[in-house]
Amino acid sequence: MLYWTRRGCQLVGALMGAVVLGLSSGAEAHPHVWATVRSEIVFGPDRKITGIRHAWTFDEFYTAMAVQGLDADGDGVYSKEELEPLAKVNVDSLKEFAYFTFVRVDGDEKFLPLKPPVDYWVEYDDTVLTLHFTLPLETPIDPSDKAVTIDVYDPSFFVAFGFAEKAPVKVAGSPAVGCTANVDTPDPESAEAAKALSEAFFSQLGPGSDYGSQFAQTVMVKCTPQ
Amino acid sequence: MKRIFAGAAFLLGLAMLMLGALDAAAQSPPSAFGPPAEQQAAPPAFSAPPKTVPPKAAPLQARGPLGGVLGWVAQTQQKMQRQLATAVKRLKSGNALSAGLLLAGLSFGYGIVHAVGPGHGKAIISSYVIANEETVRRGILISFLAAGLQALTAVALVSLLLVALNATGFQVNAWVNQLETVSYGLIALVGLYLLVTELIRLWRRWHPATGPAPDHGHHHHDHHGHDHAEGEPCNHIVDARDIAGPLSWKKVLAVVVSVGIRPCSGAVLVLIFALTQGLFWAGVAATFAMAFGTAITVAVLATMALGSRELALKLGGGDSRWVDAVWTTCAIGGALVVLTIGLLLFAASLGPARPF
Repeated sequence: MLYWTRRGCQLVGALMGAVVLGLSSGAEAHPHVWATVRSEIVFGPDRKITGIRHAWTFDEFYTAMAVQGLDADGDGVYSKEELEPLAKVNVDSLKEFAYFTFVRVDGDEKFLPLKPPVDYWVEYDDTVLTLHFTLPLETPIDPSDKAVTIDVYDPSFFVAFGFAEKAPVKVAGSPAVGCTANVDTPDPESAEAAKALSEAFFSQLGPGSDYGSQFAQTVMVKCTPQ
Repeated sequence: MKRIFAGAAFLLGLAMLMLGALDAAAQSPPSAFGPPAEQQAAPPAFSAPPKTVPPKAAPLQARGPLGGVLGWVAQTQQKMQRQLATAVKRLKSGNALSAGLLLAGLSFGYGIVHAVGPGHGKAIISSYVIANEETVRRGILISFLAAGLQALTAVALVSLLLVALNATGFQVNAWVNQLETVSYGLIALVGLYLLVTELIRLWRRWHPATGPAPDHGHHHHDHHGHDHAEGEPCNHIVDARDIAGPLSWKKVLAVVVSVGIRPCSGAVLVLIFALTQGLFWAGVAATFAMAFGTAITVAVLATMALGSRELALKLGGGDSRWVDAVWTTCAIGGALVVLTIGLLLFAASLGPARPF
């Protein structure tokens, strides 16, 4: 009896190992689209953030796919009118993905609600495509008491978002004296690291996972108290 | 078994070496011995220079202790994709032969790395081969057939929609998504089929009187090609060649089609890019080179899965009940994994359309 119990344990162990190996490798996502992010934090009067103005520049492969067949008159020029439907499709379907933009008060779990994009268009310079749009916050928020953080990432990591090397974020809109916006680089040694690993491990066990959050770069918006 | 492992490891190592060499070649064309350029410069002006310089993203970084590795994998893929784009463009202007070889090599390497991601049937094929009495050789065959079919589907889809019907890139994307859903549905069906056949076999074993064709208690013996009387001891640690049943083309085709009907999104992107550069044939060549790389990764993983089953069989030290238990667990476990993954992916693929 003891013999069989031990054998059974070995068997279960070996199979578990194989299954975990198979699943983790199966669900490990990897990007197909790369987007370089430049964002402007739009301030309204009284130093409140009213929204985020994004400019996402895509890689050449995605660009080729996206503009393929859109030169309706075949003159070799992709006019603003010809590209307009593309901007609309992009922006409309972004809603289901929370605009890949996650805004919250630093330390809070809950994300601040966003309104549908306004002021959107795409720009094509014969090589790469840039999608411009502005995401208004449902209720403007004051970052003086507590900093506001903005993460841009695709949880499934199909799209790899990365902030631009130069001038990734700017403060825009009404003059906001004493307000800054900076990209925080993840610190691998931080206390959060261990938590992130366990989350990452479980997130790899299924599709539609949160794998991409590990690559999130956080924009920290702060205002000095007046 | 060992030899095959060594062979697979050698192939993978060779591919990595090739990749490294190509990498260096792509980065520092003028001097092979000088230090490689730190960062690949923006591709020189093959087309009209863009009016504005596109912004460059800072290298991706990931959190957590594994962050360094994950970040490296993501960055490598990005670098490779950029090099692919450069290689396709170089075909137009530079030396066609060297550019073609570079493109093939890059695509091959890209395929190897790319297959680590989802959608290439690694988990499905590995589970299928352990659930069935398949040999390493068949695992490799299935991996190559599936990768080849994925490449064919991608080429067929892009040529039909873009070259013949003049559709938009987004219509191609929509088709890719539809085929994805079909593929996942088929995978779930294959898993269900494997599970049901295994359960029927088990049931017949426990109720030999009611089964129409009762076997002598070792369900996997029916393929052995040797008979022995009830209760006669039989050495179950047999050579893989002995245990392999007659190749069931129906089953193999079901697996190959269910995995291969879904074109690889990476290949579709390369094909469309090549098409816009007026070099569709280069895209087709790159797609097949990529599929070759993909097949190698999948085959290595399937071989590893078979190796762990072999190990599990050996743990029993020749005990026939142990061997039986391992076979049954592998068959049911493998079928369950295929079914579960199929269902999960099928459900996920019905989600909202992606914006990009």
